Amino acid sequence: MTRRTDTRPVVYVLVWLALLVLLAVTVGTAYLSLGWATTPLNLTISVTQAALVMLFSMHLRFAHPLLKIIAAIGFFGITILIVLSLFDVMTR
Amino acid sequence: MADGVAVHAPQFDDAEQQRTASNLGIWIFLATEILFFGALFAAYAITRVRFAEAFAAGSRLTNLPLAGVNTAVLLTSSLTMALGVHAARHGARRALIGWLGMTIALGCAFLAIKAVEYRFDYLEHLVPVLDFHYAGPQADQVELFFYLYFFITGVHALHVIIGIGCIATIAVMASRHTFSPAYFTPVDVTGLYWHLVDVIWLFVFPILYLISRS
Repeated sequence: MTRRTDTRPVVYVLVWLALLVLLAVTVGTAYLSLGWATTPLNLTISVTQAALVMLFSMHLRFAHPLLKIIAAIGFFGITILIVLSLFDVMTR
Repeated sequence: MADGVAVHAPQFDDAEQQRTASNLGIWIFLATEILFFGALFAAYAITRVRFAEAFAAGSRLTNLPLAGVNTAVLLTSSLTMALGVHAARHGARRALIGWLGMTIALGCAFLAIKAVEYRFDYLEHLVPVLDFHYAGPQADQVELFFYLYFFITGVHALHVIIGIGCIATIAVMASRHTFSPAYFTPVDVTGLYWHLVDVIWLFVFPILYLISRS
């Protein structure tokens, strides 16, 4: 059922380098005066890094659709949890 | 087992189905882990929105250089784990054990750096309950930030410790010729867990260390 296509080691190394570059960028934002934009930028970089790890290192891009749905449900769940909680707190 | 013939438990049609079932199981577990940390992130989001200035002040007291290095260490351990799983898939037993050993070493390095960081926090009187003194305004809210800081990083460190235990177990199994290209599910599943612990840290790091430092 699961289509297993092999990932070449060089791909893992490239993903690792990309993750380190993104880490340097996100640390750099802390020392710039970007104001309110800092947190959205940090989180965008985190989501990009997480996507790289999950798609390549965790082989989600080759995974059975069921696994992709389960992974998505986890993130969907915490998005609902955080966004709806914030709606409550921020509109009081 | 080492002759490449697929082995599977009697309840499965074939090794492929067994592998899919194992992956399904670990992914359901990982989804619950995401939800578990999600509750902590939600607590953080709510308190940060309410006490934005105190959280920014608390964040400036954290040790960014050590945490930055630690993030790189954890990302590198994810690379060595991925290469280990690759070695297992191709039946390279010695390479597998080597990569697992490096992953364990990097995981221990992460914990050691974390311990040094906690020690600095303690020396700066930033540990709630044990010793917390903050001279500036909104001291209670800054303390709340440090409650979350220690709880989130502590629970994450616990996951790293469990991960190291799992990887050590896998390394022992590998040394006993348990795995072959036809059967390496425990390596695969442990790798997925280790990568997820890495993914969670990728969110813990910016929310605790990177709020308005400049």
